[in-house]
Amino acid sequence: MSSRRPPRGEYIETDTGNKVARKATLVGTQNIMLGGKTVIQPDAIIRGDLVRTIHPSSQSGGNAAPQNNTAISIGRYCFLSRNCCLRPPGRLYKGAFTYMPLRMGDHVFIGAGSVVQAASIGSHVHIGAGSVIGEFAIIKDYVRILDGTVVPPNMVIPSFSIVAGQPARVIGEVPEGGHEAFELRDLYKTVGNNPQPAPH
Amino acid sequence: MAPSAQSGPKPPVHFSSSLTIAELAVLTGAHHISIHSESVIHPRARLDSLAGRVTIGRRCVVHERAMIGGSASSGLTSARSSVASPGVLSPTAAVAGSGGEASQSATPQSVTLGDYVTVEVGATIEAGGTAVGDGTVVGVGARVGAGAVVGKHCTLTPQSVVSPGEVVPDFTVVLANGMRRTDRRGMTELKNKGLARQIEVLRRLISSKPAKFA
Amino acid sequence: MATAFTPYSYIQCPCSDITLTDRRSGGSPTTSEPDGDDHAFDPRAPRSSFSLYPLEYLMYCEDCHQIRCPRCVAEEIVTYYCPNCLFEVPSSNLKSEGNRCNRSCFQCPVCIGPLAITSVETKPDPNLLAAPDNSATPLAGPYALTCSYCLWTSTEVGIQFDKHNGIHAQLAKLRNGGTTRLTAKERKERRKDPSYKGQPPPTDSQDLDHEAQFANLKAFYQGQLADPNAADAGLALLGDLGFSSPTSLSRIMSIYTGGGLLHDKKAKARLGAMREALDPDEGLLVASLDESAAIAKLRSEGLDGTASAAQRLGQAPNLVEPPLHGRERFLDSLRPVPHLLRTKRSKRCPVCRHIISKPESKVQTTRFRIRLVAGSYIPSISVRQLALSGGTGTGTSASGAAVPGAPLEPLKPAYFLLTFKNPIFETIKVTLGAPVTTPGRFASRVTVICPEFEVDANTDVWDEALKDNAERDREQRRRRGESISAGGGGINSANQLEVGKIWERGRNWVSIVVEVVPASLALAPGDPPLREDEDVLEIPMSVRVEWEAEMAGDEVGAAPSRSNSEAREKRELAYWCVLGLGRIRQR
Repeated sequence: MSSRRPPRGEYIETDTGNKVARKATLVGTQNIMLGGKTVIQPDAIIRGDLVRTIHPSSQSGGNAAPQNNTAISIGRYCFLSRNCCLRPPGRLYKGAFTYMPLRMGDHVFIGAGSVVQAASIGSHVHIGAGSVIGEFAIIKDYVRILDGTVVPPNMVIPSFSIVAGQPARVIGEVPEGGHEAFELRDLYKTVGNNPQPAPH
Repeated sequence: MAPSAQSGPKPPVHFSSSLTIAELAVLTGAHHISIHSESVIHPRARLDSLAGRVTIGRRCVVHERAMIGGSASSGLTSARSSVASPGVLSPTAAVAGSGGEASQSATPQSVTLGDYVTVEVGATIEAGGTAVGDGTVVGVGARVGAGAVVGKHCTLTPQSVVSPGEVVPDFTVVLANGMRRTDRRGMTELKNKGLARQIEVLRRLISSKPAKFA
Repeated sequence: MATAFTPYSYIQCPCSDITLTDRRSGGSPTTSEPDGDDHAFDPRAPRSSFSLYPLEYLMYCEDCHQIRCPRCVAEEIVTYYCPNCLFEVPSSNLKSEGNRCNRSCFQCPVCIGPLAITSVETKPDPNLLAAPDNSATPLAGPYALTCSYCLWTSTEVGIQFDKHNGIHAQLAKLRNGGTTRLTAKERKERRKDPSYKGQPPPTDSQDLDHEAQFANLKAFYQGQLADPNAADAGLALLGDLGFSSPTSLSRIMSIYTGGGLLHDKKAKARLGAMREALDPDEGLLVASLDESAAIAKLRSEGLDGTASAAQRLGQAPNLVEPPLHGRERFLDSLRPVPHLLRTKRSKRCPVCRHIISKPESKVQTTRFRIRLVAGSYIPSISVRQLALSGGTGTGTSASGAAVPGAPLEPLKPAYFLLTFKNPIFETIKVTLGAPVTTPGRFASRVTVICPEFEVDANTDVWDEALKDNAERDREQRRRRGESISAGGGGINSANQLEVGKIWERGRNWVSIVVEVVPASLALAPGDPPLREDEDVLEIPMSVRVEWEAEMAGDEVGAAPSRSNSEAREKRELAYWCVLGLGRIRQR
C-alpha cells in the first residue's frame, strides 16, 4: 500500500475534512464556501469568480450591509465527480446583467461531466453523470436526476422526484425506503489520500 | 492550482485589444487564431487551430471546456471524457467547400464563429470549414460536426448534435432528441443586448491575460 | 444488451400470493417450502412482475408483521400542491378549480419544459440599433409565456397577456389567436343579465369548447329538472321513439346513476318530460365532419405543423381549442399546459388499516411522522460477482469482482457473493432455499453454498466507528480467515468452497457464496426465438428470517406465534426474493 504512495497526495485535505483534488480548477476560491467533508474530484471546475454584481440592498439605499460575495456555497458531504462544472447562474436584472449565487445543501452528488447552473439544490440530491442543470433551476431535497438529463432553465423540481429526459420531466417518485440511499458519508470515506474500501 | 496545460505548439494569434481571455484558457495549434472585439474566453476553454484557422467574431462568449477547432485528425480528444461521445466522425476535406457563410479567409479546415455567438460549457465545434452564424447559442455539451454550417440566431439545446457537413437554416432550434423547430420569439435584439450586458460584467470579473498567448 | 448488467435483488410482496400468507405454520428449518421445488416461485411467470419490488419500495406493517408493497397499501392524500410554485392547494379548491395549478405555472405544449413569463419585445426601431441603452425597462408588457428549452412562445399561437401575474385566469379568457373567450362564470352571469336576453345566444357551435359545452348542458338539464312543466312541448315535439326519447334517456341515466331514479316515481315522471339540447346555448354541439380545412392546412404547413400524439395528450382537456371530433391537430392550436398538481400521500396497511407511512402535511418539509419501511425490518441483500481465480491464495484476492456486468459464460460455474445486512437490533437467523434449477426454458443450476447462517445485530455504529482502521482491517481479516481456515482448504479453486460456511462476516452483515452454472442458450431447431430478457439469469430464493424480539407491551395478541408471559418471543418472516445475477452469453 505505502510503496506506491506519491510524495504529495492527490487531494488537499482541509481542517474541516474537505478533500479537494489538486487537479480541480477552482476559480475565485474566496467566493466558494465549502461546508466540510466535501469531495471535489480532479478536473472539476468551480467558478467562484462569477459573483453577484448587483445587490438589491445597495440600490434601495440605507446602510450598506457587508456584502456577501459568496458565489457558490456547498454543504457538507457533497461529492463533485470528475469533469463536473459548477457555475453561478446569470440573468438580466432590471436591465443589467448579474450572476446570482448557487447554493447547494448537504449530501449532494454531482455525476461526472455534469454542468450545474442551478439557483439552489437542496439536500440529499443525486445528479447523474453527463447531466445539464439549466440556469436558475431549483432542485428541492431528495431528488434523483438520472444520467444524461437536461434540466431546462428555471425548472423547479419538487422533493422526492425522479427526473430524466431531455428536457427533464418527473418520471417517478423516490420511495419511502429510498431515502437512505442519498447518504454520502460512506462515499466520502472512499476517496482521498488514503481511501478506505467501500463498506458492504 | 493546477498549471494550465499548454500542450502542443503555440499558435499565432490575432487578438482585439478589447477582448477578455482567462489565463486558464488553452490555445493550441499552428494556424492563426483571431478573436475580435469584446469577446470573452472563459477558463479551460480550448481553441485548437492545428487543422486550420480559428476565427471568433465580435462579442462572442466561449465557456469552460468548450472545444473550438480540433478534430479526430488533430489527435486531440474532447475534454468531455465521461459523456459518451459516439466515435468522432473523421472530417474529410470534401466538405470544406460548403463553408459558404464563412469569412472570406476561411481555410479548408477552419472554424468561423460570427458575432454574438455563445459557445456553452463543454460544447464542441469541430474544425473543417465549420461556420456558426451570428447570434447563435451552442448549448452545453452540444456538438457541431466538421464542416457544418449553422445559420444565424440558431439555438442548439444542451447535448444536441449537428452532424458533420449539415447546413442549419437561420433561427433553427436544434433539440437534443434530433427534432428541429423555428425560433419565432423575435427576440434577437433583446438577446444580443443581454449578451452585451453579460460581457460587460464578465470583463470586470475575469482578469484578462492576453499577453500570455501573444 | 451492450449496457453492463447490474445485479439486483427484488422481493416479493405477499399480497399477490394467497398461499404465502398462511403457510407460516409449516416448514422445517432447512426448507421453507414444504414441497421444495414444486412450489418454487417463478420470477418469469407473467404475474410475478407485479409483485416483485426492490427493497426500497416496500413498506412493513408492524402490527401484521408483514411486508407491504405499493400495490397493496391504501393511499390517502394528505396535501395537494403545485410542483412548480410549491403552493399548497386546499382540497376544497380542487372540486371547483380542477387538478391543475391555477396560478401562473405552465408547461410547454411542445416539449413540456417549464414556461417562463417574458415581456414581448416591442418592435425595435432599426435606426436605433447602435444605441445600446434603449431597453432600460425590460419588464414592460405585453407578456408571453416562453419555453426555456425549445423556445416555444405563446405568441406563436397568438396569445399575449396584459399582466405578468394571474396568467391562468387571463389564459382562460383567451383563445388561440387572441380572441376572447367567455369563462363559465361570465356565461352564467350573461345568461342572467336581462340586457342579453333578447339577443341571440352569443355562442355558435364553433365557439363551444369542452368547458363551455359542459356548462351549457349542465345548465340546460338543471333548468329542466327544476321546471317539469316547461318541457311538455319538447315531449310532443320529439315523440317517444328514437335515441333521444325520454324513455331511453331515463334508461341511460338509471344505468349511470345506479338505478336510484327508477324507483323514484316523481323523478321518473319528470324525466319523461325531458328533452334533449337543441342549440349550442343548450349544449348541443354538432360534430364537425368537414375536414377540408384541416386538409388544406396540412397541405400548406406540412407535417412540421402538426402536433404529435404526445403533445395532444399533454393538453389540459378543459382548456383546449375547439374540441370533440377535431382534437387539436396542429401546433398552432396547442395551448400552454397548466401544471398538474402533485400530492403527498400517507399509506395504510390493507389488512389492519394501521398507518405505515405518513408525511408531514407541509409542502416544504421532507419529514415523515410515520415511515415504516421494509428496509429497517428485513435484511438487505446485495449481489456481487466473485472472481475465484486460482493461485493467489489469500482471502483478499478473492474480494475483487470479475468484470462487472460482463455476460456469464454458459455451462461454466460462476460465483456470486450475497451480502445480507441486518437492520434490526437483534441477531437474526437466516435460512435460504433455492430451487436446484431455475424455472423457465433455460434451467441454470443453483447451489447456495451456505443456506443457513446468523447475522449479528445492528449494534451501535459507534462501537465500530471508534475502532481505528487498522484494527478493523485486522478484525475483518480475522473473521474471514476464520471462515476460510475452518473450511480447511482455502479458496484456491471453486471446488474447495466449503459447504455450510459463510464467506465473510462483519458487524451486522454476512456474505455467503452462491454457485450458479448458467444454462446454455442454444436453441434447438424450431424453438421459438429468445424473448426479451430471457437471457437474464434470475434465481428465485426463499428467505426465512428468525429472531427473538422483546415483547412489546402495547401490541398484545398481534404476534403470530404463541405469546407467553416471558419478555422475549420468537418472530419469523419468510418471503421470496429474486436475484438477477447477469446475462448469459449468447452464441
